[in-house]
Amino acid sequence: MSVIKKLLIANRGEIVVRVMKTCRKLGIDVVAVYSDPDKNLSYLKHADEAYHIGPANPIKSYLSIEAILAAMKKSGADAVHPGYGFLSENSLFAHAVVSAGATWVGPPPSVLAEIDSKCFCRRIATDARVPVVPGTVEITKNAEDIIRFASEHGYPLVLKLDKGGGGKGIEQIGEDGQAKDAFERMSRIGLMAFGHPESYIEKLIAAPRHIEVQFLADRAGNCVCLGERECSIQRRYQKIIEESPSPVVAKEDRETLFRHTANLVKAMGYQGAGTMEFLRSDDGSFYFMEVNARLQVEHPVSEFLTGIDIVEEQLKIASGEKLDIRQEDISFNGYSIEARVYAEDPVSFCPSPGTISRLRLPAADGKHLRVDHAIEEGCAVPPFYDPLLAKVISWGESRPEAIEHLRNALAEFQIEGIKTTIPVNILILDSREYRTGDLHTGFLDHLYSKAVSEDGSIKPLWPNM
Amino acid sequence: MEVIVQAHMPGLVARVVVNEGDKVAKGQEVAVINCMKTELSVTSAVDGTVKTILVKEWDEMEINSPMIVLET
Repeated sequence: MSVIKKLLIANRGEIVVRVMKTCRKLGIDVVAVYSDPDKNLSYLKHADEAYHIGPANPIKSYLSIEAILAAMKKSGADAVHPGYGFLSENSLFAHAVVSAGATWVGPPPSVLAEIDSKCFCRRIATDARVPVVPGTVEITKNAEDIIRFASEHGYPLVLKLDKGGGGKGIEQIGEDGQAKDAFERMSRIGLMAFGHPESYIEKLIAAPRHIEVQFLADRAGNCVCLGERECSIQRRYQKIIEESPSPVVAKEDRETLFRHTANLVKAMGYQGAGTMEFLRSDDGSFYFMEVNARLQVEHPVSEFLTGIDIVEEQLKIASGEKLDIRQEDISFNGYSIEARVYAEDPVSFCPSPGTISRLRLPAADGKHLRVDHAIEEGCAVPPFYDPLLAKVISWGESRPEAIEHLRNALAEFQIEGIKTTIPVNILILDSREYRTGDLHTGFLDHLYSKAVSEDGSIKPLWPNM
Repeated sequence: MEVIVQAHMPGLVARVVVNEGDKVAKGQEVAVINCMKTELSVTSAVDGTVKTILVKEWDEMEINSPMIVLET
């Protein structure tokens, strides 16, 4: 329990720049780390110190506990912020940081180790009287388990990895005949991608909305919710547009979601910033899905609405400070929307690494527009890491105003040399369904069936725009 | 005749799915490249036999890096 003086950010890309910004405000020194292909990233020059941690292969650099701990010791950093992805929810890494005498900016290692299992979280939620997606809370042992579950509850159902994430490890099953293959495929993917083959069963919720609650929890057991985020627009189970407030969450729903979140936080013994993810079925029921035990990509949306710097709160909580915000002090102002710009083909979503030959970023005033990124003209976009290039986040007093600001910014945003998903973002914002708030996780497939020509090009939905 | 299967995208070799001596058909998956966390299938353009595997898991690929030698 001590004030952080020198923070190592164990990550790459825009999130390093984001965390660095708060460190500057608080007078905390920043230690950055980099792999071979990242050695020329411009933010490394702005960090107080930067350490080389290994080759392109993330297993030997950004995912190497050993390499990052060595940089931590060499630099004398007294704390580690893991960002998102990579080692951010890895309890062994958190434990190693704490054991080395440094402060871990995240939930305690013992909590991370437990909530890593979705079945564990589903049991905890059930005990805390928080509804979960109907299904099993025990590991599926074989295909017969699936067939037995289906004979009672029917198809379609989904097989999910107990310790999966990032949209990987979800298999839909429609009949008995698919159970064996799906079970074997899931075990193989789980073992290969996460080192854990275990899976469990959920009933398929048709055309659900994905709604999550951002919260902060301190060591003393205080918990505040920073509102919900609607993240229903996804490609391959990965988010592409997020917004707050959700067009469908009424005041009573919000109170219920906040109550569920506080109960889950308490039951888990969670400390730090985090997110509880819920699914909303079309009959309006909410089901707890999973906890994201990290700072999330889409956190700026909640920061715009509440005026709270979530990274600053993370650092304060990690230092042992009590939350000085009470729920009744938090107001949710206006509307905020985030568009993720990925280095991908806008139709096939095939990755598009390369070099950014020309770049024109939208003008961010910090009031109506914020652009979080770590790119510049001439910089390489390596094929080894996540395709996220930038996040464009808008704020408006009304939802149409926020949409307008975001659309203008995306139209202004020019990247040459690689393909990006900017045309997809614009297509979504221009669609009638988006403007009326008719969102669900199958939104993009539905939109593409109307907007993509047979030759694979995107035709504008409104030719006049 | 020898035909070399090349990487069609840059990234890391996620896995090689054939062994030396295996018969492969045109269009068959022979390796997988991980590019920006997406797994992309590398397929053979011809019918043939795997003569030499030039890469292993986690090797860094550029576009057109040679991966597998086939005998047709």
